[in-house]
Amino acid sequence: MSPATRRAASALEIDEVAGSTTRTLWGDAFRRLRRNKLAIAGLVWITIVVVLTISADIWVPPLFGDPLTVRTAPGESLQAPSFTHPFGTDKLGRDVFSRVVYGARVSLTVGIIAVSISLVIGLILGALSGYYGGFIDALVMRSADVFFAFPYILFAIALIAVLGPSYRNVFIAIGILGWPSIARVFRSSILSVKENEYVDAARAMGASDLRIMFRHIMPNAVAPIIVYGTMSIGGAIITEAALSFLGMGVQPPTPSWGLMLSDAKSLMFRAPWLTIWPGFAILTTVLAFVLMGDGMRDALDVKMKD
Amino acid sequence: MAALLEVRDLATHFFTRDGVVKAVDGISFSLDPGKTLAVVGESGSGKSVTALSIMRLIQEPAGRIVDGEVYFKGDSVLAMNESQVRDLRGDRIAMIFQDPMTSLNPVFRVGRQIGESLMLHRHLSRKDAFERAIELLDMVGIPHPRDRARDYPHQFSGGMRQRAMIAMALACDPDILIADEPTTALDVTIQAQILELMSELQERTGTAIIMITHDLGIVADMADDVMVMYAGKQIEYGPADSVFYRSGHPYTWGLLDSLPRHDVDEKGTLLPITGQPPSLINVPSGCAFHPRCRYAREICPREVPASREVGEGHFAACHFAGQDGFVRGAAQAGGEVA
Repeated sequence: MSPATRRAASALEIDEVAGSTTRTLWGDAFRRLRRNKLAIAGLVWITIVVVLTISADIWVPPLFGDPLTVRTAPGESLQAPSFTHPFGTDKLGRDVFSRVVYGARVSLTVGIIAVSISLVIGLILGALSGYYGGFIDALVMRSADVFFAFPYILFAIALIAVLGPSYRNVFIAIGILGWPSIARVFRSSILSVKENEYVDAARAMGASDLRIMFRHIMPNAVAPIIVYGTMSIGGAIITEAALSFLGMGVQPPTPSWGLMLSDAKSLMFRAPWLTIWPGFAILTTVLAFVLMGDGMRDALDVKMKD
Repeated sequence: MAALLEVRDLATHFFTRDGVVKAVDGISFSLDPGKTLAVVGESGSGKSVTALSIMRLIQEPAGRIVDGEVYFKGDSVLAMNESQVRDLRGDRIAMIFQDPMTSLNPVFRVGRQIGESLMLHRHLSRKDAFERAIELLDMVGIPHPRDRARDYPHQFSGGMRQRAMIAMALACDPDILIADEPTTALDVTIQAQILELMSELQERTGTAIIMITHDLGIVADMADDVMVMYAGKQIEYGPADSVFYRSGHPYTWGLLDSLPRHDVDEKGTLLPITGQPPSLINVPSGCAFHPRCRYAREICPREVPASREVGEGHFAACHFAGQDGFVRGAAQAGGEVA
């Protein structure tokens, strides 16, 4: 192939992958991600969970019954898995499958909103800390240390105790507790990106602090945050489950995986499906987020050439 | 005619835990439009800090310009406020960095990066800036500039990236181009191409160049004036020919003697300068070069030598500069060795 056609071909390829400024980079990353089977397994599982959750209202109640409807007629409660109730029923006769699906809604919502709250606080503080250094850096990082010094779950419980146990307060608490890690990761990422010569070059070009921060440093520093954020969603789901298990989180009768486990603990041997399915849901979903985060770490590494 | 850039007694110090590092200590020079000044010296002699000081890019509070004046077209750069300096940077005074591999931002297309200073200083639209970037890429000799402008830096080779950096620096048609060891990271054939490109563009655009280098070959090729630095001090300064052929400072002699030559005779072994460059925290007393100088006498550690004129516009900071018999090669011929 002549150089000209090769150039044309690769230009075409770039246009195929994406049109605008940054997308080719993401296109590359996605291609690398696709080759990582575990990450794809995680992505597929997350997609399935999301689709099931979003579409749940349409098909779950008619097929398996409403997750909140209590049926105490004889024989309705604690049924073993069957065709009508694939995951069995709990002691109030509610369909476990339907509760697990609706529980995903709580878990995903908490995961995403809590991590978003952490991201907003963590990114701003981390950026200030890493870019300006000095007093701001010391202030932010020492506050982060204070947060780290508390046992995580105890701090969450204490916060909930102050705010009152509710669905909304769970993600506020988890979100507030998550910022120090994000800030630290972002700060260190910015510290290393800041040393690059292209940052000096941007300054020598007459760019202002804000422009350097947002256009030259941020895009190069977010990769670890995307990875960490993805993994944090898994962590937030676990924390929600733990808080709900302890009765400090989502309140009954809202279906939450942690709450379901909590309710089932006395019936673990009589009706094992009550613990197995929510447990399985937590395990696989958290694992899926972690695997995907891990895959993204490799995929977003610009230096990894294919 | 007033000089384009006039630097007087510039001193930039860094305040570290271990003490004050006098990275630049009393540098003066002037640069006329379209001329090339070469700044020569070992690593750590303050060459880059000089350049950064001119552009006010010293990171405070660790480093500070403690003394001196920098005039650009008669205006004091050191007296400007932050936004005035930003208008100067990239527009009137542009800079090329040493390592082309790391001085382009990996997440932006090359054309976009070249156009950025045009968007910043000339307020061009993104599209116009991109079109202009394509012209600039063409000017620096990148084939198929229209396609290449859409590439990312990692798709460019080292030499092409340095060409792109030059295009970026010349985007706003600056009066001064500061090149901080622009060819150090490139292999030799590419070095020659880049230097040739720079000379060619200089002729076309009339840009003055401050070339920071430790390669005397480059200096001989390109420079009109030469400034030799040692331990943050200006050791010798003058027209290139004069500095090369009638150099007045033993350090400059040492630099010249340590150059490989193709016309070597039987005793043509390279003569390295012995010892190490001094730590900038504990600069030797008197003349900073005296511990390594084969001509040092008892006055050298005691007194800081003043700069003396040894030729027209040619200054050397040595106690004995310009004295009869104090010439390059005297030591080899049996001169005194301290």
